[in-house]
Amino acid sequence: MRNIATLLFLGGLAFLLIVITGSLDFGAPPMRIGTQIQAATAGDVGTANIVTAVVLGYRGLDTLGELSILFAAATAGGLVLGSAAARARPDGGFILRAGADLMFPLLLIAGLYIVIHGHLTPGGGFQGGVILAAAFFLPLLARPGTTPGHRWLMWIEGLSGATFIVIGLLALYRGDAFLTPLFDHGTLGELVSGGSLPLLYLAVGLKVGAELAGLLMRLAQDDEVTS
Amino acid sequence: MTDLTLAVALPLLAAFVRPLFNAGALRWLGQLIGPVVLALVTVILFAHWSTFSEPFAIALGGFAPPLGIAFYVDRMALLFALAVPLVTLLLWPGDDGADGARRQSLTLLLAASLTGLALSGDLFNLYVFYELAAVASYGLVAGNGSSAGYVAAFRYLMISALGSVVGLLGIGLVYFKTGTLNLAELATLGNELADPQGLAAFAMLAIGFGVKAEMFPVNGWVPEVYGAASRRVAALLAGLASKLAVLVIVRILLLMFPSDEARQLLLVLGILGVVSGELAAYQARDMARMLGWSSIGQLGIVFIAFSLPGEAGLVAGVAAALHHLVVKSALFVLAGPWGGAIDRLRGAATVSALGAGLFVLFALSLLGLPPLPGFWSKFLVIGGLADAGTALHYLGMAAVLTGTVIEGAYLLRVITTLYAPPAGSPAPPRQRGSDLLTAGLFGIALLAAAVMIDPLWQTLDALAVSGVDTAAYQQTVLAAQEAHP
Repeated sequence: MRNIATLLFLGGLAFLLIVITGSLDFGAPPMRIGTQIQAATAGDVGTANIVTAVVLGYRGLDTLGELSILFAAATAGGLVLGSAAARARPDGGFILRAGADLMFPLLLIAGLYIVIHGHLTPGGGFQGGVILAAAFFLPLLARPGTTPGHRWLMWIEGLSGATFIVIGLLALYRGDAFLTPLFDHGTLGELVSGGSLPLLYLAVGLKVGAELAGLLMRLAQDDEVTS
Repeated sequence: MTDLTLAVALPLLAAFVRPLFNAGALRWLGQLIGPVVLALVTVILFAHWSTFSEPFAIALGGFAPPLGIAFYVDRMALLFALAVPLVTLLLWPGDDGADGARRQSLTLLLAASLTGLALSGDLFNLYVFYELAAVASYGLVAGNGSSAGYVAAFRYLMISALGSVVGLLGIGLVYFKTGTLNLAELATLGNELADPQGLAAFAMLAIGFGVKAEMFPVNGWVPEVYGAASRRVAALLAGLASKLAVLVIVRILLLMFPSDEARQLLLVLGILGVVSGELAAYQARDMARMLGWSSIGQLGIVFIAFSLPGEAGLVAGVAAALHHLVVKSALFVLAGPWGGAIDRLRGAATVSALGAGLFVLFALSLLGLPPLPGFWSKFLVIGGLADAGTALHYLGMAAVLTGTVIEGAYLLRVITTLYAPPAGSPAPPRQRGSDLLTAGLFGIALLAAAVMIDPLWQTLDALAVSGVDTAAYQQTVLAAQEAHP
């Protein structure tokens, strides 16, 4: 009975989507907000990368929400997986060890570069943060015996998230609305430009990196414990 | 006057730093941070509520809407926002080790996101807060640690994910057709969404946001989750979170889809919710599941109320929603130790007279016995349905009345079980003191509402007048520049 109801529901939904897709005229969507933002970004926000202006400026609260969703997912993951202790495991082997040592600084540089240049070029805190997480997870794969630094990861996670909000609250303290960009815009396209947006992206990058690294480590440990 | 964005920002900040103070010398700080922040937010919101004169908007980030995200603050938003920290504080989870810190973090995230749902005036921002509430509640449900909790959380996650995708498609459709996400600007474009595609978008948004609001086709997770999660989490989800999701659907309906078809859709879904929820509750033999199904039925009544046009609908809907918030939260808290089969509760009144007495009070209000507030909320709904007067509305009236009869049957069955002579061993379980205190506070609120029904009525009326005033919403939000109050 339940399966039939589910099938009917999904069939109806599929039919609805097909009809809607068929009836829309693609090619010339109205661009009410889009064109205005493209025109206003350089003057209003001062970032060469318009996507960043939207992500951290116009829709900064959404980004804070996304960060919180990631944090909620990581916290819920911790609640389900528990804090498994590290165990003695077979070594990753010479090739993996040497490769991890070699990759670590490169990944770190690439990740930080993408984070720091988020307001100029495609990329930013989320993308760079994932690379940073990989940088810290790789050594753990190569040397499974080492105890991962859960504690300092937790501090980076908490403090970078707090930094994002505190930067927003500083604007409030100054008399502007929450999350108003601070400082001057600077010259468009310079490394130091876009006001406080690069700082926000740095906080995003560190938080995403620490969160994903922590989650990956926990999953790796849990895998070891259950298998 | 302190800024209202603090009501969202401070709980988020507290949630981020809560895990840092879990051990060592600063452990007391970690214990305090959640309740203190929630109390502070309550004070901020109450200050706004008590000095409220006219609606205003906040342009976040200093970007004037519709380019940036705007918060819109009227009495309706403030009332629901005020309920969030207050109820969260009442249902605050205790602390036990590292897991306690995580649970408190998630509870703070849930509170922040629900406040955001009450205030935000941007379609996608609403979606972000809704997702945050959803992810935080998966964690809270699974955090119980039992395998039933994991299964329920997984099921919840699947249904919720389906709803989220459908809701996101709805948002995509709206954005594709209009090119904007700001609710106020969408309200000025009413005729662009007044076609079958627009109605489809409304249906998709209603299903998306309806998952948490326990709306008819997407509420299969409800009994299982409330049966498996800890009762305080169940109270938080059934009492509080569902109401904020309802508020979002109502805002979308009022601002973006002011058509009769959209209202009829909501009415039909509400009727189906009442009938299916109450019938299933009648069959249920487990306390938490029964309350879960009954909550689906009650929310059906809320949807029926909000589908009524004009101020009458808003008054009836807000009254029914607030009543259900108080009563169902309290019932779940009381049902804490009363899990499992209802037959097990024979003679519980002899063990815990106060618990049983409170249960009777809330059950009678849920049924709508005058002079308890539940009577007035149902009275408003029935009266509104009679005034609207189409065949569908009469069907809704029949559904509400039949639902009440069924409700009476199963609630009285529980009450007679509670007051039956004890069956001997094992002795029926009794509530903890803290649970009785929480339920008692809800009970005082209920009785206070019964006594002060007249001022309450006037407040709701004023709230509804500004709530249906979509022209004021548009002007206020679109005029909000960098400078804000």
